Amino acid sequence: MNASVNVSPAPAGQNRTPGSTRIRQFFSQYKIVALLVAVALIWAYFSYATNGAFLTSRNISNLFRQMSITGMLALGMVFIIIAGEIDLSVGSLLGLLGGVAAILDISQHLPLPVTILLVLLLGALVGTFNGLWVTWLRVPSFIVGLGGMLAYRGALLGATGGSTIAPSSDAFVVIGQGYVSPATGNVLAVLILVLLAFVTWRRRTARQRLELKVSPVWMDAAKLVAAAVALFVFVHVLNDYGGIPVPVLLLLGLLAVFSFIATQTVFGRHIYAIGSNIEATRLSGINVDRVRLAVFALMGVMCAFAGLVNTARLAAGSPSAGINGELDAIAACFIGGASMRGGVGTVHGALVGVLVMASLDNGMSMIDVDAYWQMIVKGLILVLAVWADVVSSGARR
Amino acid sequence: MATESAARAGENGDCLLDMRGIRKMFGSFAAVDGVDLQVRAGECLGLCGENGAGKSTLMKVLSGVYPYGSYEGEILVDGVPLQAHTVADSERAGIAIIHQELMLVPELSVTENIFLGREIRRFGGLMDYPAMHQRAEALLRELGIDGINVAQQVLHYGSGHQQLIEIAKALSKEARLIIFDEPSSSLTATETRTLLSIVADLKRRGVACVYISHKLDEVAEVCDRITVIRDGKHIGTRSMAELDTAQIVTMMVGRELGQMFERKPHTIGEVVLEASNVTCLDVMNPKRKRVDNVSLQVRKGEILGIAGLIGAGRTELVSAIYGAYPGTWSAELRIEGKPVHIRSPQAAVAAGLCMVPEDRKRDGIVPLMGVGPNITLSVLHRYARGGVIDGNREAHAFHHEMKRLNVRAANPMLPIASLSGGNQQKAVLTRMLLPDPKVLILDEPTRGVDVGAKQEIYRLIFDLASRGMAIIVVSSEMPEVLGLSDRVLVMADGRIRGDFINDGLRQEDLLAAALELPHRIDNA
Repeated sequence: MNASVNVSPAPAGQNRTPGSTRIRQFFSQYKIVALLVAVALIWAYFSYATNGAFLTSRNISNLFRQMSITGMLALGMVFIIIAGEIDLSVGSLLGLLGGVAAILDISQHLPLPVTILLVLLLGALVGTFNGLWVTWLRVPSFIVGLGGMLAYRGALLGATGGSTIAPSSDAFVVIGQGYVSPATGNVLAVLILVLLAFVTWRRRTARQRLELKVSPVWMDAAKLVAAAVALFVFVHVLNDYGGIPVPVLLLLGLLAVFSFIATQTVFGRHIYAIGSNIEATRLSGINVDRVRLAVFALMGVMCAFAGLVNTARLAAGSPSAGINGELDAIAACFIGGASMRGGVGTVHGALVGVLVMASLDNGMSMIDVDAYWQMIVKGLILVLAVWADVVSSGARR
Repeated sequence: MATESAARAGENGDCLLDMRGIRKMFGSFAAVDGVDLQVRAGECLGLCGENGAGKSTLMKVLSGVYPYGSYEGEILVDGVPLQAHTVADSERAGIAIIHQELMLVPELSVTENIFLGREIRRFGGLMDYPAMHQRAEALLRELGIDGINVAQQVLHYGSGHQQLIEIAKALSKEARLIIFDEPSSSLTATETRTLLSIVADLKRRGVACVYISHKLDEVAEVCDRITVIRDGKHIGTRSMAELDTAQIVTMMVGRELGQMFERKPHTIGEVVLEASNVTCLDVMNPKRKRVDNVSLQVRKGEILGIAGLIGAGRTELVSAIYGAYPGTWSAELRIEGKPVHIRSPQAAVAAGLCMVPEDRKRDGIVPLMGVGPNITLSVLHRYARGGVIDGNREAHAFHHEMKRLNVRAANPMLPIASLSGGNQQKAVLTRMLLPDPKVLILDEPTRGVDVGAKQEIYRLIFDLASRGMAIIVVSSEMPEVLGLSDRVLVMADGRIRGDFINDGLRQEDLLAAALELPHRIDNA
């Protein structure tokens, strides 16, 4: 379902490629294919173990809704990791911003748009604050995150007085629990498909004009057909159970935005360059601190989104919201192929990583696996996934 | 101990090392394609070839970095097949390699480095420091080196001394064959002299050497025979007595190189960059001035060379002008007469000043990115509207630039780290030319670059000057400074010790100026 919004960037200007590079390129694409195969296997197993209950549209709908919060954190986190940094404070910040949202909504009775705007703004501010410690004051991001993890959790406890704030207004709850009507879902799917076709057509004509190599028509057509099939299966399954959940739609929208930033913008390119070699990037005349600051600010905004959805889902601001959220997000990025050393990673990879984790959570809960086993399995999967990545990239040293 | 085993090999007079038909494939590409190489005990074999010719791959095969079975052909040491699966296996057979980038641990002492992994222990696994210090001192004494305190941390010694420590380390492993990979690339002239005399001494003691270097005068001086490889193939092995450096170059490039420096007439105009009172403080020790109140001017269409020994403050000077000096610095700059305030490379580029840094791997390439995006990195916004890159326009631009500067890569999206040094350098140079600078600073523009690319870079520099660009070239290679420059500044100890018009200027003049102060090893 990622294919729908993730317009593959198609490496600009391919010349004739020798066999070895083609294999390597296939390998790097294969990574995401391998991950999707892993997801399929996990789904197949749980479907078998639950006599098909796992694959009902109701459960799939729940699964996607469950992954939306970690997914939002992972979107911000993957930029942080690509830039060669880490942010451990996001779980606590999610909790804090979710708590602030609950206070604004419940205690202050602010209208929904104002609440959302204020929380997003606060997220950006706190993210920028984290970023300033890293860029301006040169404190390693690991330490800044560790400090933030404690401090923001403390702030949340202080703000809520240690007790749950409930119940949220009805309008607010829609962000976490609502559904888009099936008809709207269908219209959206068609619009996305039209947009994809238009983008493909424009790229082709532009490449022809600049006399660059154009991929064969059947290939682009096949890609479009595949996208269409994935898109409609996705929408159909979710429509079967009330429509696309609002947080899932929000996550998909953000995925599109982040994918676009990563592959199509100057800012995105600079993030990769900084993660790969910050010194060379700086000496090329790029303001690396500004880019890193923006990455941290974006992370803060994503914490705000995740906090809003989380509070809306629970219809309450909880002092324990988002505990260990940072670990899930970071794990998802690494499962999705991001590198500890920076410079490597994809947005869609991180989201498939989240899907792996969410599927494990959901499936294991369904077959009544003890909570302690769930943690052990998730831990093992993380290490195994990164090991597989190390082995496959080590082979082409 | 090293001498005993070496003497044994010397007596039987056979080949110490015999590599036959070595072939190493990367995918479908043969990096080394059927190379034979013989080294006799007590001889120094020069291994020459352009970057990317396969020298390093061959030496990695020999030293066990590529394990037995990952290549074809056989390796005999003293007539016995060597099937090294790890570097330790080849070391056990008496083969040691000293890499271009030295592999010492800066925080450990000289002794600890020499014995790293093979520490002399006492009961209970405790380090026997007295015994190790004694042995380390003996090794250094055998090499005729003084001025090294074996209990000091290695970081207190400059690269010249570090190289000597590496040699002592190799000898402590009873190495009978030492491979030197570009040993003099970061040494000063005097340090290189010491190195060459030590290699000669090693030969006398029966230790064989393989000397890999682009500096052919060194090869000619110290080597008995020379093996040349090109494109992974064995081109020939000759006795040094029957060769001169020009012939080696011909074998390396497979064609007669024209003159290295084809000067192009260029007119020198008014002053473009004026830097006054540049002072840089040492990063670790702010009391020490690395650059001490230096002023310089460079004119339109002028090529200004900056010569000097390592540690003279050249790199510090130009990086301060570019706004990139890591420590505290002050400088007053004027570009075309207007005062400019440059405190970051970003400001420098905006003011029309670009720099290609000295250390390509550390400061130049963005290794995981393709060659194309590496080139457009400095001016990416040019191919973007509202922050969104027009991928097609960008691709069009880097295809064009790669063709123009002859940056050879199978595919512009291929990670730049997989290219040869020459192509990497041309790509970084292209990146810093794209902002259309008025002043271009080149710090060691041809370090670790093969002869062919070197010539292309020289031609480009003359071409840029003839089109009115002001160019500053910092170089440790005196022939390069003399071949390129219109005017030469010589630095020593953070100051300018000479300002010469390059008219009949000789290397000796530059060296005399550079040596005006007695040269000290950098003891921070």
